[in-house]
Amino acid sequence: MSTNPSVQPSEIIKDNGEIDGKIRLRKWLNMNFRIEMTDGRVLIGVFLCTDRDANVILGACSEYLKNNDGETEEPRVLGLVMVPGRHIVSIKIDDTMDSTTSQKYYYE
Amino acid sequence: MGDNDGYYDGDGTMDSLPVSPEVTYNWVDITSDFFKYIQDLKIGELLHDGHLFGLFEAMSAIEMMDPKMDAGMLCNRGSPKPLNFQQAVACGKLKIDDLEPNEIIGIIDATMACIVSWLEGHSLAQTVFTNLYLHQPHSIINKTLKAYCIAVYKLLDCIRDCINKAQVFEEEDFLPMGYGYRLGSNPQLGNTCDASLEVSEQKCIALLREQEEELNKKARSIEDETNNLSTALAARIRFTRMFYQALLLITKRDSQSGADCVALLNGCSEMMKVIIKTSGRGTQPIENSNSPNPMGFEPMINQRLLPPTFPRYTRIKPRNEALQYFDELVAQLRHAWKITSCTNFHTALDFFMEFSRQRACILSRSALQLLYLNPSPATTASMAQSAINLPPGQSRPSHPFVEILRESIKSFVNPPALTPKSPAASTPQAREFVENFLVRCVRPFAVLLQVCGHNRARQRDKLALLLDEFATLQEEAESVDALVGGEGVAPRSCFGTWVLYHVLRVMIAYLLAGLELELYSVHEYHYIFWYLYEFLYGWLLSALGRAEGLAGETARRDVKRNSTRKHKKRTRPYAREGLMCQVLQNMCGGYYKALVAFKLQGKIRQPDSEFDNEAVRYKHRFAPLSVLTPPQVHYHEFCEMTQPAKYENPVILYLGGCKHFQQARSLLETITTPDQEVTDLLKVVKTNFVVLKLLAGGHKRESTAPPEFDFSVHRHFPIIKLV
Repeated sequence: MSTNPSVQPSEIIKDNGEIDGKIRLRKWLNMNFRIEMTDGRVLIGVFLCTDRDANVILGACSEYLKNNDGETEEPRVLGLVMVPGRHIVSIKIDDTMDSTTSQKYYYE
Repeated sequence: MGDNDGYYDGDGTMDSLPVSPEVTYNWVDITSDFFKYIQDLKIGELLHDGHLFGLFEAMSAIEMMDPKMDAGMLCNRGSPKPLNFQQAVACGKLKIDDLEPNEIIGIIDATMACIVSWLEGHSLAQTVFTNLYLHQPHSIINKTLKAYCIAVYKLLDCIRDCINKAQVFEEEDFLPMGYGYRLGSNPQLGNTCDASLEVSEQKCIALLREQEEELNKKARSIEDETNNLSTALAARIRFTRMFYQALLLITKRDSQSGADCVALLNGCSEMMKVIIKTSGRGTQPIENSNSPNPMGFEPMINQRLLPPTFPRYTRIKPRNEALQYFDELVAQLRHAWKITSCTNFHTALDFFMEFSRQRACILSRSALQLLYLNPSPATTASMAQSAINLPPGQSRPSHPFVEILRESIKSFVNPPALTPKSPAASTPQAREFVENFLVRCVRPFAVLLQVCGHNRARQRDKLALLLDEFATLQEEAESVDALVGGEGVAPRSCFGTWVLYHVLRVMIAYLLAGLELELYSVHEYHYIFWYLYEFLYGWLLSALGRAEGLAGETARRDVKRNSTRKHKKRTRPYAREGLMCQVLQNMCGGYYKALVAFKLQGKIRQPDSEFDNEAVRYKHRFAPLSVLTPPQVHYHEFCEMTQPAKYENPVILYLGGCKHFQQARSLLETITTPDQEVTDLLKVVKTNFVVLKLLAGGHKRESTAPPEFDFSVHRHFPIIKLV
């Protein structure tokens, strides 16, 4: 809530490196995330919310078990989940979107 | 970050679930960036889309890796794909012939453990139907196992039927879903229904009996180590047969079957002794394995049948505990059978309440309901409801429960209107009123019995709802009393007293349930006990007294009218109940006075009234008690009435409490045949007497350490402890 929506993101990237992080995170909102947890499970869902401790809330989330044979198992639908930051091993973002606007920020 | 020239042009909608395999992702690792960027957030600051997602939505998220919320956490170890029946047979993992007796014993014991887990509220698919043999019982060649597996189907169906009929379960007690397994009629999974494989109840019993005899023959012929195994196996088959037959009798409930059922249940108990003793003879589950038996069980086999958010794996009850459970279950069923000799509704209701106190399992609670009333109280209640909605003039179906209630009223208050040949019952109009009233009684009282069958935690809310129905009934009782009162005499409140008595009992049960469920804070105890002490128990006592008076009055009138009849010596049928009432009233008085004294000495932490207002709490605690009679005592009345106590010397209050406990003790000690309840109460009373005596003598006067209330001896009445 603290970021001022009226400020144009591109301007801020130019002159202030500190707010940069927030802007970039904001760009990822509502995109598909793939989070691997410390116990090996993989969660795929829509990135909705985060905080300083990297607690991440994913919407419409599905849980995938890591399989020995590499076989993909049916996912288990979990819905809205909160992943505590300390249990996150890796975060990946889905890049299959065609929109040119959202991608330029993380291709450098 | 990788180049992604050839990335898949996905559908792009964010909330579409990745369900179809065509969806491909192009995952780009952002871990380090992500952890870098979040450092720009302030502590406690949330980054989110303010329009779509706020703190409120965030609250409903499941927290991953939290053992209470994250069901998938414990059971996500990668395991090979489970084999189904045919695959397991084909690869030799599942023997369907030439099974050793110890293997069959292992399978049977594990299946029993699964049944227990099911009865404890887990899904059928994750418990009993992890047993592969149950997927195709007709393909099993070994006759003993085949008969057993077919019988399990029938047994499960019978259990489910019993529980469904009684309707005393909640989602935490029992899951009735079958997940496509056709219970009962045809033990075969899925749609491939083959009529030739149909097994009737008689056939199933005959199959088991045949195996039983064969095994017994085998046991007699061999005299060594295997001998024991055949006997052990025979005991299991025999138990299954008798348990199934007994349950069938309970669920179907035809009146002639009484002696049979008792004999069958006694037989079950005996067989359970053998089964428990020989539980070590069967194959045992491998340590740290999820499977309850090395052969025949596949915990993950039904995973696809389950709804998505289900736990992936259910822990099956350990075998010895499960057998113990069965043993207790049979004992409870035998105890429940005693309800059939309770002719009086009054004693039956006491029996129901007592049974509930023992926290019996769902199956025995259900059986009790069916044993008392056929159809069950739940069905009776809903039938009564629809009968009331019938247009007037249409004849109502007569119901045995009406007769039970009629007898109950007769023996409790003996109203002239129910006495044949009495002038009050002579006019057809008066009779019609009374009959109408009785019909209206059916639903609330049937529901009362049903509520007693529910698990303890659920009873309180249901009692509160029931009070509303009783309120309507009270109104009706009063008008019947006024109408049939008779010629010129002041109307006697016969029906009114009877309903009032039950209303008071429900109210008391409601308030006490709050203590048992630990819903009240210590600073609330004083008005709870005050209400019980000053009003409810007092009213209950006077209702009992009035009932005795009324019953006696009519009896005397009868004697006068009919002088040839011998004057029966009047016993006081509710002497014991009245006595217990006085005991409990005194105990509540003792607690109340002690609590006020604690409060005066600052020993009980009080909430800040700005945030936690006593009036609001009081109103909330007693809200369901706002029925017609007795009138609810409101908070301002409470304040007025308890005003003087605020200026009392705590020592006087302690002494007053002491006297109450002393009184309760001497009353309890007049009971010549004390049961467990009386013994427990005596212990509480004696201890509290001593504690209050010490307090009155100035022990720990200056200490502000709060006293402890220990409910371990009695669920409602704590022992006061000073620390």
